[in-house]
Amino acid sequence: MTTLVKPRTLFISLSLLCVLAIWLSLALGPVSLPLIDTLRAALRLIGLPIAPDGLEQAELILGQIRLPRTLLGLAVGGVLALSGVAMQGLFRNPLADPGLVGVSSGAALGAAIAIVGGSAFGGLPESFGPYLLSICAFLGGLGVTALVYRLGRRNGQTNVATMLLAGIALTALAGSAVGLFTYLADDATLRTLTFWNLGSLNGASYSRLWPLLLVTAGVALWLPRRAKALNALLLGESEAGHLGINVEGLKRELVFCTALGVGAAVAAAGMIGFVGLVVPHLVRLLAGPDHRVLLPASVLAGASLLLFADLVARLALAPAELPIGIVTAFIGAPFFLFLLIRRPA
Amino acid sequence: MLRTENLSIRRGNQTVLVGITLELKPGEVLGVLGPNGAGKSTLLGALCGQLPPDEGHVWLDDQALRRCAGAQRAQRLAVLPQVSTLDFAFRVEEVVGMGRLPYQSGRVRDAEIVAAALGAADAGHLSGRSYLALSGGERQRVHLARVLAQLWPGEAGQTLLLDEPTSMLDPLHQHTTLQAVREFADRGAAVLVILHDLNLAARYCDRLLLLEGGRPVALDTPQQVLRPEPLKAVFGLEVLVQMHPERGHPLIIAR
Amino acid sequence: MRLRTRVVALCVGLLASHQAAAAELPQRWVSAGGAVSEWVSALGGEAKLVGVDTTSQHPESLKALPSIGYQRQLSAEGILSLRPQILVGTEEMGPPPVLSQIRNAGVQVELFSAQPDVAALQGNLQHLGQLLGAEDQASQALKVYQQQLDQQKVRITEAQLKQKAPGVLLLIGNAGGKPLIAGKDTAADWLLQRAGGHNLATHTGYKPFSNESLASLNPEVLVFADRALTGDAARAALFKENPILSSTRAAKDGRVLELDPTLLVGGLGPRLPEALKKLSDGFYPGATGQ
Repeated sequence: MTTLVKPRTLFISLSLLCVLAIWLSLALGPVSLPLIDTLRAALRLIGLPIAPDGLEQAELILGQIRLPRTLLGLAVGGVLALSGVAMQGLFRNPLADPGLVGVSSGAALGAAIAIVGGSAFGGLPESFGPYLLSICAFLGGLGVTALVYRLGRRNGQTNVATMLLAGIALTALAGSAVGLFTYLADDATLRTLTFWNLGSLNGASYSRLWPLLLVTAGVALWLPRRAKALNALLLGESEAGHLGINVEGLKRELVFCTALGVGAAVAAAGMIGFVGLVVPHLVRLLAGPDHRVLLPASVLAGASLLLFADLVARLALAPAELPIGIVTAFIGAPFFLFLLIRRPA
Repeated sequence: MLRTENLSIRRGNQTVLVGITLELKPGEVLGVLGPNGAGKSTLLGALCGQLPPDEGHVWLDDQALRRCAGAQRAQRLAVLPQVSTLDFAFRVEEVVGMGRLPYQSGRVRDAEIVAAALGAADAGHLSGRSYLALSGGERQRVHLARVLAQLWPGEAGQTLLLDEPTSMLDPLHQHTTLQAVREFADRGAAVLVILHDLNLAARYCDRLLLLEGGRPVALDTPQQVLRPEPLKAVFGLEVLVQMHPERGHPLIIAR
Repeated sequence: MRLRTRVVALCVGLLASHQAAAAELPQRWVSAGGAVSEWVSALGGEAKLVGVDTTSQHPESLKALPSIGYQRQLSAEGILSLRPQILVGTEEMGPPPVLSQIRNAGVQVELFSAQPDVAALQGNLQHLGQLLGAEDQASQALKVYQQQLDQQKVRITEAQLKQKAPGVLLLIGNAGGKPLIAGKDTAADWLLQRAGGHNLATHTGYKPFSNESLASLNPEVLVFADRALTGDAARAALFKENPILSSTRAAKDGRVLELDPTLLVGGLGPRLPEALKKLSDGFYPGATGQ
């Protein structure tokens, strides 16, 4: 058990894995591009002066379809994994998942409200429709999480067990609200609504990508600074307090980062499950629970995992596409069961 | 110095603690004794700031404890709770190393202190092992090392609060633990320790506080507090009190 | 001599320009939406199809083509890998960002109306005809369709002289479970009306009903469409999952008719007149005459 992977080895391997995932994600796809074309188009994209002849298709596929998709996968995978670490730290339980605080269902509810509200005004406007949708999803996630957090607070103390129950209740409530919207929706609205619940990196575009990239970068830079405090939090809230940590402040930060990160991810790519649960576990199994290693390693691992899952999603049934949520569940669920069986008594 | 005046704590309609006036003097080990439910853990909770008093105040040096927070307070006050709920596979040194969080002493110095603290808690041989693989007693010693590391090496102006640190330990380690605590006090720190074992209390404490039903029954040296009448009154136990043949402190024998 | 050369030259020129015009028509087609694909095939364009979606199941031969997945969740790269020149489908196609990506790749994207009315069909057929270079066939098909619909109307009018329009409900289910009832503004409603039935459902769109509502409406005829099963298996599943239906007049009289659910996707399709006839035969037994 104590034969853990050294941090340096872990980071090097994960970085290489991530680079491999990025490369495969750019080089492979239903359209088979000759490798040399991919390389030349990629170099052109960075700005190197390469002659553009014959590269039109490669540039289009690479620049307009695969590259934004890869960036989306990196950001979503990374931020979901980070949120998983944050939640497992907050609940002091390695089986916790970002969805526990209600952010995913809140985001779905926000999106539903935007879609149904939009159709009441004759359809979402073309120009900023997608932005409006993402903003509403994001606000919905943040809103429900804030409510869960508020419900868990009493006398200035946040009771994590209460938060858990509140999260379950509000997730159910948000889910039924979405169900109600689904029922009342006309066919056009229904179409758009059902897209949302099938997580997918499909249709990624640069304009919708920026908010998520910013949020991911923000969370990825902020959380590692709290690594030692997160370690201490695992001792217990009062113990961490006695070590000088502002526990209430830390819990607030964790909830906020998760709401922000997962809200933005769901707004950009719909609901994708299991990444927040599986990735921190994998990294802990390899390198222990120290957050100074766990946090950055989870970003790399989460990003890589999602890109590999997306590869399967894109290629398994080409030219059709598997919803990525199915692939992550296929990997995640058996893994989860394996962990439960293997867990030391 | 940690002190409290006329401390009172209520839970709902019940008075759990009342009329506690206490001063933890530097270099002194104060033991807290009493039957279950007497309010010992409540007292510790109030003294470390976890339970807000309904009456009375708690001061750390010249400030109200409430106002003292963060790393500043952590460098002066360390608390060892009765049970730990750590459920992650940290290595022993990492757990003890968390005690160094309030400081910026650097990796090398921290490693030295961690090793020394583990040695004092007689847990040096556990270094390198996973916390989850340890027995209850071993884990308890690791946490002791952690709080020792938090205040290492111990000096006047620091206070250590311990809630039944020997509950899961075998006889040898009960003594080594309290010996380490004693050494901490000898270096100037003030220590409050909740104990169940009357003889351990007699041997290692300078003063004893005897609680019953939330009220202080006695606050004095072990010789004065550990006498048959108060012990019978509080614990309902008939005892004989003799003098330890080598060390001279009271020895309590149940009749 | 010179005149003949000129005539020959003219003919060659016309032929060449016609070929050129034909060559400008898209040759590699991807189609999404059952009825759209059926019309493409009906107008002779099946050979041009290189990929279809999961709702395009008629004619049978389409099932052998590469599948681009569900029409509302298309993959840009997946479609582009088939090197199409045109993507046709209804407004039900999506997601919209993917359609833009496909357009940006230089593929023509044509959206047809999925409205269940003849005016929309007319527009669709004309447009399709142009794209396929089969305008004549398109107008012919439309004429025949219109004739069939007119005949159907006559049939119904005659039948209604002898019989009242029966109260009908149309259910769409999946292996019998969770059936949705077709209300107004649906292709199903259009079908029911043209077949001479009186749709008892007054809501809009497809919605689930409670058992009580189903029983209280008590239709004389039940029409069911099942996505997963066909024939007797579907019928059995329908009653097994919804036992309340057995109490309706329709069940007791044995007036339970089956409908192919792919008829309801993508607007009015070429097989509808046939289906209409079958339905109206079921609505007015003995009155329409074979």
